[in-house]
Amino acid sequence: MFAYTVRRVIATIPVMGIVALFVFSLLYIAPGDPAAIIAGDQATPEDVERIRASLGLDRPFIVRFLEWLFRVLQGDLGVSIFTNLPVSHMIKQRLEPTFSLMLLTLTFALSCAIPMGVVAAWKHGTWIDRFVMLFAVLGFSVPVFVVGYVLAYTFALQLDWFPVQGYTPLSNGIGGWVSNLTLPAVALGSAFIALIARITRATMLEVLNQDYVRTAKAKGVGQRAILFVHALKNAAVPIITIVGIGFAGLIGGAVVTESVFAIPGVGRLVVDAILRRDYPVIQGVVLMFSFTYVIVNLIVDLLYTVFDPRIRY
Amino acid sequence: MSSSAPLLDIQNLQTHFGTIDGVVRAVEGVSFSINAGETVAVVGESGCGKSVTAMSILRLIATPPGKIAGKILFKGTNLLELSEPEMQAIRGNDISMIFQEPMTSLNPVLTVGRQIGETVMLHEGLSAKDAEQRAIEMLTLVGIPAPARRVREYPHQLSGGMRQRVMIAMALACSPQLLVADEPTTALDVTIQAQILELMRDLKTRVGAAIMLITHDLGVVAEMAQRVVVMYAGRKVEEGSVEEIFLNPLHPYTRGLMGSMPKLGSSLHETGRSKLTEIQGQVPSLRKPIIGCAFAGRCPNVTDVCRQMAPAIEEKAPKHLVACHYAPRAAAAA
Repeated sequence: MFAYTVRRVIATIPVMGIVALFVFSLLYIAPGDPAAIIAGDQATPEDVERIRASLGLDRPFIVRFLEWLFRVLQGDLGVSIFTNLPVSHMIKQRLEPTFSLMLLTLTFALSCAIPMGVVAAWKHGTWIDRFVMLFAVLGFSVPVFVVGYVLAYTFALQLDWFPVQGYTPLSNGIGGWVSNLTLPAVALGSAFIALIARITRATMLEVLNQDYVRTAKAKGVGQRAILFVHALKNAAVPIITIVGIGFAGLIGGAVVTESVFAIPGVGRLVVDAILRRDYPVIQGVVLMFSFTYVIVNLIVDLLYTVFDPRIRY
Repeated sequence: MSSSAPLLDIQNLQTHFGTIDGVVRAVEGVSFSINAGETVAVVGESGCGKSVTAMSILRLIATPPGKIAGKILFKGTNLLELSEPEMQAIRGNDISMIFQEPMTSLNPVLTVGRQIGETVMLHEGLSAKDAEQRAIEMLTLVGIPAPARRVREYPHQLSGGMRQRVMIAMALACSPQLLVADEPTTALDVTIQAQILELMRDLKTRVGAAIMLITHDLGVVAEMAQRVVVMYAGRKVEEGSVEEIFLNPLHPYTRGLMGSMPKLGSSLHETGRSKLTEIQGQVPSLRKPIIGCAFAGRCPNVTDVCRQMAPAIEEKAPKHLVACHYAPRAAAAA
């Protein structure tokens, strides 16, 4: 188990290497010339050339990639073209709201979606099942920003239960933190809930037909324990797999959600950076998100062994 | 309740399933009883309703699509009238069940100890620690070596025979009065089958449980049971003591079953009577009501009477019930 963990951590290195190469190539793939933008409309071609050379943009790709990679490995993500602040510093400032939002969304989504899927499978074919499936289709097909604006309009503007936008750091008390993040978490979570509830239902339907569920019933085990102990543990592997995969959607959704609710997170940072073609910031954020995704899926792989003793590494 | 009343008394059990193409009458008016400590075998070919009968007793049939009617009296209480919580208190405690497939009937993600212990935690209110202790005792009882280690293992770490022993340990953990064993040895190797049967016989005398043994293996019947119920197309066609059924089978279907069983010492290459005989034809569809005798389509002695009128089940010899118009009546029968 320990050896496997070490092996898996080592295996993430080439993955991250490829991600780094891709992230760095963004500079070349994306349209627009940062040197020209910085130089402004009135600049002569000589000015642009001078700025390009000062940014080091005139040297060969591979040399610049290796230099960049070497600096990244030392924790230096470069300096923002616009603010002249270190990128790592800018990201660090924005991390808390983003991770708070994701954590809250994940907790909220799992605690809703799993019971929904389980009950839908248990009562399959009834109106409860149909209602859950209807919700799943809606949650998946309505975009985050639509859900977000509807929620903000109803629960913040009309009912005044929650603040319309903004963020309160956790250090200012948990009440404000939760109250500010509730609507964003619900908006971001709706698609995630739909995805997980669907998978939970499908897997549970299969599991509930297994012989061992009948055995449990024949022993006198109650319905709740059959569903949430005997069956759910068997359904856990597909569910956590989809949670891991769905995490990518959560990252993308967080960027949108932060814009809708004006949360000063990493998502907002990257949107602003894209509008300004602030490449070092874009690279830093994408690299950070990729790294998070790889780590989440590593955790998912390790969780398999917790839920299914037949899986051994 | 008088001591002569049977432990389990099934009266006119009907288990039907509603499907898209109509109602499947899996069990149609079956009655029999099991006395305390007795082993009764229920035999018949696949699809004759023997497993459905067993599942109906513990109410393991999903309703809907299933529908159970009739009476299932356990110590005088009709199980079909109990609420679900009352039924839960009986399952695994007073009546427990062993299933056919030891490979799939144990939960793959829970330890063996947890699965055995759960029964006693539920029904006897034992703590988790005491339950594990009981699980170890039960594993010892069913002859699993190194029980203290095995109790922490998962089903995939055990062989098929071991798993069936675990199933038995689980079923007997609360000392039930009735054990329903649905083809307990079918999925096992022949050598393991003998061990499991031996174990069941041994434990039966120790725990004092009655056994309802469902099987299609007549060898198992001869070895284990005192009485036999023969089922065909959801109906009981014959019932009697093991000796009566084996030595004097009266229903043509039972005779057919006996004839299709290979006997030691006979050779398939010999000519004449020692050849295996098969029952010609197909089991009738259970989707429509059967007019006349259910076995009429396959019976060698069929007449027009059989095709038009269902035979009543009658006592043709002492304690030997048969549903056939032409079964000879023994002189001594009432």
